[in-house]
Amino acid sequence: MMSRLRTGGYHAAMTMVSLLWLGPIIWVVVLSTRTFDDIAANGVGSLPHSFTLDTYRQAWTDGGQLQALINSLLVTVPAVLLSLGLGAMGAFALSRYRIPGRRTILLLMLAGNLLPPQIVLIPVSKFSELTGLYDTLWALIAVQVGFGLGFYTFVLHGFMRDLPNEIQEAATIDGAGVGQIFTRVILPLTRPALAALGALSFTWIFNDLLWAITVVRTEATMPVTPALLGLQGQFVSSWSVIAAGTVIAAVPTVAVFLAFQRHFISGLAIGAVK
Amino acid sequence: MSDFDPSRRRLLGLGLAGLGALGAGPLLSACASSAGTGSTPTGGGITLQSNLTGAAKSGLEKLVADFNKLGKGTATLNTVATEIYRTQLPTYLSSANPPDLYTWYSGSVANAYSRKNLLLDVSDVWQGLGEYTPAMRNVSTDETGKQIFVPMNNYWWGFFYRKSNFAKWGVQPPKTWAEFLTLCQTLKSKGIPPIGIGLGDTPWVASAWFDYLNIRVNGAPFHRELLAGKQRFDDPKVKAVFAKWSEALPYFDPKGKAYPFQEATTALLAGKTGMFLIGTFLADATAKDVVEDLDFFQFPIIDPAVPVAEEAPTDGLFASAKTANPAATKALLTYAASVEAQEAYVANSSGIILPAHPKAKASDMPLVAKGKAMLAGAAELTQFFNRDSSDALQPTADTALTRFIDKPDQIDAILAEWQKNAEKVFKG
Repeated sequence: MMSRLRTGGYHAAMTMVSLLWLGPIIWVVVLSTRTFDDIAANGVGSLPHSFTLDTYRQAWTDGGQLQALINSLLVTVPAVLLSLGLGAMGAFALSRYRIPGRRTILLLMLAGNLLPPQIVLIPVSKFSELTGLYDTLWALIAVQVGFGLGFYTFVLHGFMRDLPNEIQEAATIDGAGVGQIFTRVILPLTRPALAALGALSFTWIFNDLLWAITVVRTEATMPVTPALLGLQGQFVSSWSVIAAGTVIAAVPTVAVFLAFQRHFISGLAIGAVK
Repeated sequence: MSDFDPSRRRLLGLGLAGLGALGAGPLLSACASSAGTGSTPTGGGITLQSNLTGAAKSGLEKLVADFNKLGKGTATLNTVATEIYRTQLPTYLSSANPPDLYTWYSGSVANAYSRKNLLLDVSDVWQGLGEYTPAMRNVSTDETGKQIFVPMNNYWWGFFYRKSNFAKWGVQPPKTWAEFLTLCQTLKSKGIPPIGIGLGDTPWVASAWFDYLNIRVNGAPFHRELLAGKQRFDDPKVKAVFAKWSEALPYFDPKGKAYPFQEATTALLAGKTGMFLIGTFLADATAKDVVEDLDFFQFPIIDPAVPVAEEAPTDGLFASAKTANPAATKALLTYAASVEAQEAYVANSSGIILPAHPKAKASDMPLVAKGKAMLAGAAELTQFFNRDSSDALQPTADTALTRFIDKPDQIDAILAEWQKNAEKVFKG
């Protein structure tokens, strides 16, 4: 009896927490189906008095979301692959070999992460102009890789360091070179961490606004976050269209998270069972 | 103008604002001019960088399309979200290969960029604009006497209300301050908060009250000098402004501090407040079938001896001093200033705006005719707090005015602090 009560209480509490969690998301989805006139008359907080899907069409066409989503993916996919690839190589070298000054290198990378990105906005913007990359997606990819690299290396380093040395020794005895050890032994073992980091970095890069508006100024090259901001009017914003645009822009990240979910959880759990 | 919005700016991060401020600095402009070429193609084409989104964008699209048909150049419209545009404009202007034309504000905002030699001298465009009013020419002229701006449109501020609500409550729009206070009293006795306001997220809305009370009590010349740092905020004349404001303060909607201007509009339309001192962009936040029911009255006259001034924020275009194609840039500015272009622009953008050219026809709504007549009848025009001073001075006003609305009895301390903060801004 007691335990049943406890289970019931647990479920009730968890339902409440989930609702609290889902509440804002549901609110945005409901908001996205209301008409402008409904919101103008009843306010954003009221219950819906209308239903329309035209907001999605407006966000898609007026907001230029197709081009913006393509731009976002053109930046995000290469940036994630590059930064994880380079990060894994760096972490492999720093964690498995006695590289002189490896601790300093790692600390330097960590220190770079502690630096607030805002203070390097001007140098980044001017440097991208100097290199002729300003206003291109290349600049954005370079910046995203550059700023992510330190953190990814640091995390992967921590993970790779804990892999048992015997595996590497066995591979060496079997005649594997450095490259083979990296690609055939260490990388497969690091997969959970890579998957988790991949999902995270995808979200970060995809959702980034600051770097995008620092190095890009042309509408046709803007990724999806500035495009969403563009749905805001100068004084008056059509909240339902913005909500619809937000829902559309969230689809890729949600898809990536769902696809990587299994790895993501196992990646998190690996540290826990040790 | 009035879309200064610190809370949205916060979204972009403090540093971004810093980037904007620094990007315009002489050090960096020097650095930028030595930088290599960017990726924007030059040669023939010109770029119009714009912050106008939504319906206003279609007006500009039409303008650019019509200009391109003239064969005097090929312009491309490039739209950037307003909040990004505001912080990035100094960077755009000081970059090595800047866009040619920009939508932005006239008056001291344009003058500040001109002082840094970032704007193209368009005095020769103005030689063909003899029909424009002296007021329009004034706000387009920088402190050295050259024209740097071409106005496209302006709009007005006033107390907006719903005709049906005023009829239901049996009240008439007031003309004088005494009548205004009586109206407030009547509405309050009926249980309606008389004066709507929306300061949450949009604290700059309060500056309209300060601007209007100051130009009604002390006149536009004093207001301009005050905003230019030539008068003091702790002057007894400024205190007199707040004494008038105190008379109306009990009638403010107490909820107005919590919600932003757009929600305050909803409250006004729903009859939850009586009237709302706001710009014509309120119509953009109004359902289409309700716009017909909107009306406004002029900010009441306080001292009949003071020449009547009105707030008329002016929007338009300026050009980069570094444009690679000044001929086409000026051709577009000349076209944009024409009657034909402005009529098409106004007709294609929704919202209530007045074309800058005195001969261009505005929309034939009675509301628009009334607004146009009000501006035409004014002895002087001001723009708005930040447009007549700077985006840097606006936060000092926001702080002082929201504090005053909370604690009107601390006015001396508030004004002393405002003066201190303003001095910091003027010292740069």
